[in-house]
Amino acid sequence: MMKSLKTFTPLAWRNLWRNARRTSITLIVVSVGLWSVLFFNSFMNAWVQSSKDAALDLLLGSGQIHAVGYMDDPNIEALMPPPSAALTAALDDTRITDWTTRIALPGVVVSEYKTLPVTVMGVNPEAEARISSLPGKLVEGRYLDDTDDDGVVLGLHMVERLKTGIGRRVILMSQGIDGAMAERSFDVVGVFDADQATEDFFAFTGLKASQAFLGLDDQIAEIVVVLPDEADVDAEFTRLREAAPDLDARTWKELNLFLASTDSFMGAFIYIWLGVVFSLMAIGIVNTQLMAVFERTQEFGLLRALGMKPRLVLLLVTLESAMLIGAGVLIGAAISALTIWSLQGGIDLSAYALAVEMAQGGNIIYMEYDPGSFVLFSVLIWILGIGVALWPARRASKASPVEAMRYAS
Amino acid sequence: MSNPIVTCRGVTKVFGKGDLAVHALAGVDLDFAPGDFATLAGPSGSGKTTLLNMIGALDTPTAGEVSIAGNRLNDMNKSQLSDLRLTKIGFVFQSLNLIPVLSAVENVEFVLELQHCPAAEQRERAIKVLEQVGLKGMENRRPSAMSGGQQQRVAVARALVTKPAIVLADEPTANLDSKNSSDLMDLMAQLNADLGITFVIGTHDVSVMKRSRRHLEMLDGRISSDTRR
Repeated sequence: MMKSLKTFTPLAWRNLWRNARRTSITLIVVSVGLWSVLFFNSFMNAWVQSSKDAALDLLLGSGQIHAVGYMDDPNIEALMPPPSAALTAALDDTRITDWTTRIALPGVVVSEYKTLPVTVMGVNPEAEARISSLPGKLVEGRYLDDTDDDGVVLGLHMVERLKTGIGRRVILMSQGIDGAMAERSFDVVGVFDADQATEDFFAFTGLKASQAFLGLDDQIAEIVVVLPDEADVDAEFTRLREAAPDLDARTWKELNLFLASTDSFMGAFIYIWLGVVFSLMAIGIVNTQLMAVFERTQEFGLLRALGMKPRLVLLLVTLESAMLIGAGVLIGAAISALTIWSLQGGIDLSAYALAVEMAQGGNIIYMEYDPGSFVLFSVLIWILGIGVALWPARRASKASPVEAMRYAS
Repeated sequence: MSNPIVTCRGVTKVFGKGDLAVHALAGVDLDFAPGDFATLAGPSGSGKTTLLNMIGALDTPTAGEVSIAGNRLNDMNKSQLSDLRLTKIGFVFQSLNLIPVLSAVENVEFVLELQHCPAAEQRERAIKVLEQVGLKGMENRRPSAMSGGQQQRVAVARALVTKPAIVLADEPTANLDSKNSSDLMDLMAQLNADLGITFVIGTHDVSVMKRSRRHLEMLDGRISSDTRR
C-alpha cells in the first residue's frame, strides 16, 4: 500500500493539473468553503465571547446568590442577611476570584423634568472596581468613593432623558422596609456610557447609603460571584448551594437565558453552517471529479488492460481527490488564518450599536485564532470530501478495459 | 512444435441475450507458437477484436477454452486476469496508448512499477528497451511532444519491457503515415526475430499483412484461413 502511494502520488499530482482550470475551480470551492466555516466559527465564538464579556463583566458576574423568591419578585421583603460564616468561607475559597454584595431594588428616579423607572443599585465601589467593568465606563464626573457615598451615578442616556447632569440633584424613590415609600435626593456625581439597557435602568449609589435610604440594617439583595474559569461555573455553584442551602444561587446561564441559549445555539449553528457549506462543496467536488473520470475512461481502460488492478485505480483516483481537497483545505485554512490575523484589532460594530445591543453583543468583536477548530474543521472537510469523491473513484475502478477501449475507438 | 503460447479451443463469445444475441466468435480453434509473427485480419464485425480481447485476457469466452502461457482463462477471476496481463502479455493499441502526464521512460517504467520491480532496475530496463526501439535521447519527452510513430514505439517498448510471452497489437499502424507504419513494422519484425517474442497484430492494412509470417483471416466469428509463409 505504502509503495503504491509512493508510486501514484506524483502521477496523481500531475493528473490534477491536466485540467488546470477545473482543478483551480475545485480548489476555490474547497478553500472558500473552509474559509467561510473557519471565519464564521471564529466570528461567532468572538461574538458569544463579547456578549459574555459585556454581560458578565458589567454586572452579572459568573453568577449570583439571592434570597429565595427575589428573582420572581425583587422587592424589599425578598432581601437576605449578609453571607453566613459558612457561605463567606465558601466565597473566600481560592477557586473564586472575587465577590461582593449589592442592593438591587426597583424604584423611580425623578428630575425636575421627568420621572423614570430605575433599579436602585447599592454597591461597594471598591469591590465593584475589581469585578465590574462599569466603573471604568465613566465619561463624566467620578465613580462612588465608598459604601457611604450618597452620590448617584447614572447612565448617559438616562441623564439626557432626565435633563440632569453632574452637580444637579435627582430624587430616588423606592419602597422602604417599613412599607412606606422611601425617597431621598442624591447628587449626580458621575455619568457612565454603557449599553442603552444598562444606562436606562440602573442608578448606582453606595451600599450603606442605599441601605440607610431604604431603612435597612445590613440586608442585601444579591451576592455577585466572579470565577476565574467559566468552565467551573456549574461545579462552583453546586458548592455554593451546599454552603447556603436556604438561598437561591444561580449561574449566569440561569440568570441570562438569552445569553446562554445564544452560546449553545452558536455552537450548534457552526455545524449547521458546515453542513450547508459542505453540501455545496460536495456537489462541486463530485461534479468535477465525475467529469475528470468520464474524460479519462479510455485511460482507465488502458491502465486496466496493462494489468493495473481495480483497487489500484481506486487508490489513484482517490489520491487525486485527497490531494486536490487537501490543497484546497490548506489554502482555505491559510486564508482564514490570514483573515483572522488581519482583524486582530477587532471588528468595530459600533455603527450598528443599537442592533448589537439588542442581540446582547459587544461593540467590538475580537476574533481569535483557535488551532483546535482549524484542525477539526479542516480534517473534517478533508475526510468528508474524500468520502464523496469515492463515488467517482469507484466508477473509474470499475472501468472495463474492453468497454473503455471500444468507447475510445 | 513447442508448446503453444496461446491455445483457443471452441472459443465462443455471445453478446446480449435472446433475439438480440450477437455471436461474435463461433467456435474458434487456434494456437500461437513461441516466435510467431502473425497478423489477424477480417472485415468489421468478423470477430477480430473480440478474439484479440480473448487472447489478451481482457475478456473471457462464453464457451470454449483459452489458455495463455499455460494459464486457463476460464478459471481465473478479474484479479488473476490482471496479473496475467501484467506479466505475460504486452499491448499496443491503435491510439491513446500512453499516459499523457508521464514521460516516455516513465510510461515504460509504469508497468515495471506495477510489477514491483526495484526502482533502479526499472530505470535501467526502461532506458535499455527505449534504446532498442530507437528512442534514445527521447526518454524524458512526454507523449504530447512526440510524433504518432514515436508514441507507438514507446508503446512497443512498454509492451516489451516486462518480457511478455506475447505482444498483441490492435491496429497499431492505423493512425500512422506509410513511412512511420513501415518503420513500426520493421521494428516489431526485428524484435520478433531478435528476442523471439510472439507478435499477434490485428490489422486492415495490406502492407502490414504482407510483413507477417503467418496470416489469419476471420469471417463471421470463425478463422476462415490460416496461411504460413
